[in-house]
Amino acid sequence: MDNTPNMIEVENVSMRFNLGIEKGFSLKQWFVDVGKGKKHEKKDFWALTDVSFNVKKGEVIGFLGSNGAGKSTLLKVVAGVMKPTKGEVKAYGNICPMIELGAGFDPQLTARENIYLNGSIMGYSKELIDAKFQEIVDFSELHDFLEVPVQNFSSGMTARLAFSVATIVDPEILIVDEILSVGDIAFQAKSEAKMLSMIGGGTTVLFVSHSIEQIKKMCDTVVWIEHGVVQKIGGKEVCEEYKKYLGL
Amino acid sequence: MQVFNNIKYVWKKYNFLLRQLVSRDFKVKYKRSVLGVLWSLLYPLLTMAVMAIVFTNVFKFTTPGVNYLSYLMSGLVIFNYFSEASNLAMSSVVANFSLINKVYMPKYIFPLSKCVFVGINFLLSQIPLYVILIATGTGINWYHIFLPYAYLCLFLFTLGFGLILSTVSVFLRDMFYIYGVVISLWTYMTPIMYDIAIIDKPALLLVFKCNPLYWIIYFARRIMLYNTIPEINSWIYCMVFGLGTLLIGIFVFKKNQDKFIYYV
Repeated sequence: MDNTPNMIEVENVSMRFNLGIEKGFSLKQWFVDVGKGKKHEKKDFWALTDVSFNVKKGEVIGFLGSNGAGKSTLLKVVAGVMKPTKGEVKAYGNICPMIELGAGFDPQLTARENIYLNGSIMGYSKELIDAKFQEIVDFSELHDFLEVPVQNFSSGMTARLAFSVATIVDPEILIVDEILSVGDIAFQAKSEAKMLSMIGGGTTVLFVSHSIEQIKKMCDTVVWIEHGVVQKIGGKEVCEEYKKYLGL
Repeated sequence: MQVFNNIKYVWKKYNFLLRQLVSRDFKVKYKRSVLGVLWSLLYPLLTMAVMAIVFTNVFKFTTPGVNYLSYLMSGLVIFNYFSEASNLAMSSVVANFSLINKVYMPKYIFPLSKCVFVGINFLLSQIPLYVILIATGTGINWYHIFLPYAYLCLFLFTLGFGLILSTVSVFLRDMFYIYGVVISLWTYMTPIMYDIAIIDKPALLLVFKCNPLYWIIYFARRIMLYNTIPEINSWIYCMVFGLGTLLIGIFVFKKNQDKFIYYV
């Protein structure tokens, strides 16, 4: 094998959600349960079971699977948002998680203020945002709305701004949950081109998509997950097997 | 040494985020209010005025030897910091869950940013406090340079307490209601508008003296109102309560923070 260093090592990662506690603990319910002599039910749900894989530097790895298969959970575990119940994730490089954009916007602040706020939440330094400020504004094409509170933006405008802020860095590891194409048709083309150039630019990419064609086109390695279990890891031939599984 | 290096690294990495969060709170708080940041000065003055009217006219409270307005204001400014900062810190983790669930960032930054944000308001409220001290003839002395010690302890205590509250409130949303009651009890259990000398039962007095805020306010008042350096025991109590609570807070928060995402 080649000696390219591993960027990400995922070792035997399992992730358990407790469906019982996710509903929230309520004192009333507790008394009702105790009164009925019912034990607080614990429904475990394993979103991921014993998932292991390595990602080499510069590798583009794609994830296939149905809704709820555990792909997004896996990305969140790799991004460090969630800590796995079992196993370990090691990442050797700065991660840019493009999982959900614009989460850090404060609707009451202006676009200008939000660029800085959201940038800082994504972990960018002030210097970086200062340097890239014009680029963000140019890309989003929101020059005339910089001093307008984001709550007065249309959803398309907000998405444009979020996308522009998120994509200013050249991360070592890029995590993408669906290729984001946001805004109107012109901007969709522009944002998709930007995403593709980021993915194609030699960075290590973890990439979730429901478009088998897109994965086939872009990924070196394909991981197929179903019910939280890795069904298959391999080259593009996994796409065919997945297609067969789906009955396509 | 390891701890120190960790703190340095975290500070370097996250101080911009912290500043952004604090400045966000400021902008949102004062946006579209005509007087804006002036409210930080006016608000403590107005609350003090209301309390002064009630407690001097209705309840006939007096504080022998010191001006009542100065007495009230010195306690009020400190207690208000604690009550506001701990309240905001408590809800900060739950309120920012949409972020916690999507982007990695240290979760303690939310309670911390609230304590810093209210801390800036607290520093602003020193202006009306000193206006009162001077206007009522209480005056200023050189011992005031020791006051930052009490304020540091206040900050440590509040942050520690805020970390505990924010952790508990993730698991038990009832905490928001419970704490509202606790705070109002705490307000009356702290000698803000009355002198502790009116407590004559020794057992009750002991309870009063277990209150960290009592010691911080006591420390500040020794200097502001009585022109003396606080006794050595109050220096110790302030720091023990401040640092102790912070350490407990860090421990509780750290132990539970990975479970937050399942509960919110």
